Amino acid sequence: MKEGDAGTMASGKSSIDVRAIAEVGICVALAAVLNLVPLFKLPQGGSVSLDMLPIFFLAFYRGPRLAILAGVVYGFVDYAIDPFFVHPAQLILDYPLAFGLVGLAGFVRPTSLIKVAVGTILGGLARFTAHFFSGVIFFASYAPKGQSPWLYSAVYNGSYMLASTLICIPLVYALLQAFKQVEGGSPSRP
Amino acid sequence: MNGRSLALGQYYPARSALHTLDPRVKLLLMLALVTAIFFINNLAVMVAAGLLVPVLATVAKVPYSWVIRGLRPLLFILILTFFIHVFFTPGARLAAIGPLTATRAGLRNGAFYSLRLGLVVLFSSFVTLTTTPVQLTDAIESIFGPLKKFRLPVHEVALMMTIALRFIPTLLSEAETIMQAQKARGADFESGHIFKRAKSFVPLLIPLFISAFRRADELALAMEARGYAGGEGRTRLHVLKVRAADVVWLIGGLAVIALVVGVRWAV
Repeated sequence: MKEGDAGTMASGKSSIDVRAIAEVGICVALAAVLNLVPLFKLPQGGSVSLDMLPIFFLAFYRGPRLAILAGVVYGFVDYAIDPFFVHPAQLILDYPLAFGLVGLAGFVRPTSLIKVAVGTILGGLARFTAHFFSGVIFFASYAPKGQSPWLYSAVYNGSYMLASTLICIPLVYALLQAFKQVEGGSPSRP
Repeated sequence: MNGRSLALGQYYPARSALHTLDPRVKLLLMLALVTAIFFINNLAVMVAAGLLVPVLATVAKVPYSWVIRGLRPLLFILILTFFIHVFFTPGARLAAIGPLTATRAGLRNGAFYSLRLGLVVLFSSFVTLTTTPVQLTDAIESIFGPLKKFRLPVHEVALMMTIALRFIPTLLSEAETIMQAQKARGADFESGHIFKRAKSFVPLLIPLFISAFRRADELALAMEARGYAGGEGRTRLHVLKVRAADVVWLIGGLAVIALVVGVRWAV
């Protein structure tokens, strides 16, 4: 895991080097693996899992650009593995967009536990917004007229998103500390 | 960790016309069909569209039970959708349970909206039932290919997807190995409330992430050693080619979809 071992030789026009491709790919695989281990199942569907953790980690470790990319890719992979499709707009909002927004966490520099918490909550909140609007579209397409889709979507998506996000704060911090130790320095940012 | 790890996703292996259909054609037809469902405003047409499900299942050689399984995660929402419409639509009184009144219009709406939801899910599942995730990735790269002109990293995203799909089983078995090793040291991953359980995952997560990033580094090195240098000029082992059968499916499918949408204005 030393700096510049791989990827520096790539001189293609693309600004994403080979090591970045490999790291994003592996992080997405990690997210899919963690998604298979649900921590907690909510009664109304939805489950709390650690699938955002690798994206948060990548956001703080390599910056928001790669993390957003990882989120979008994870969205596609998650759909290919476990599709939930009820409306074309919902497909975009719930998969590539929702997880891509998680990567926004990387705009906060992870210099302290507080900063990590702020970044993580920012990413979680951004993802919640995407699921929230997807829920509104869902209820507007299937629920009777006159029922408020806004409240139900906020409650449903808020419940599991809050737990999933809060859990990631100490875990992503622990991971960043561990990687610091392994590398003997501060996390590198491109 | 459960049985899902062995058969990732919904894919049902078989040799059928739908399995060999170009994945791009499948994706486009599915999107058109699902969009068409939202144009249907008549219960009879919706039921007629529903008859396509057994037809497609037969063509795809996928057992009906396997197709219906796609509805399972949705069962609760389907039933809820039905009953909310039955009881909350104003109209002629049909029956009453306590303070709730079922109406004739409600019954119609309930059937209509739960059928719409069920059909959207079932039609979209035919793509994932008959296409492997890797084929799906190739299709996505090909469909979004023109976006490369806008400097969007389409090729890189597709390659990341392929790497992810390839490494999910590897990392899953690695996670299992680490879990066993930590359990042998007395770690407990299963008891306590949600935050305590999350905390107990730290001895699993740190070795898992460190070894995963080491793997990524080795992978990048191996790719460069084999001369990989980005999307430009890269050749592939499996090239997607549109065959005559794909064109027939595309035209036939779009004709059926146009019919479904057209009824809205014709009746």
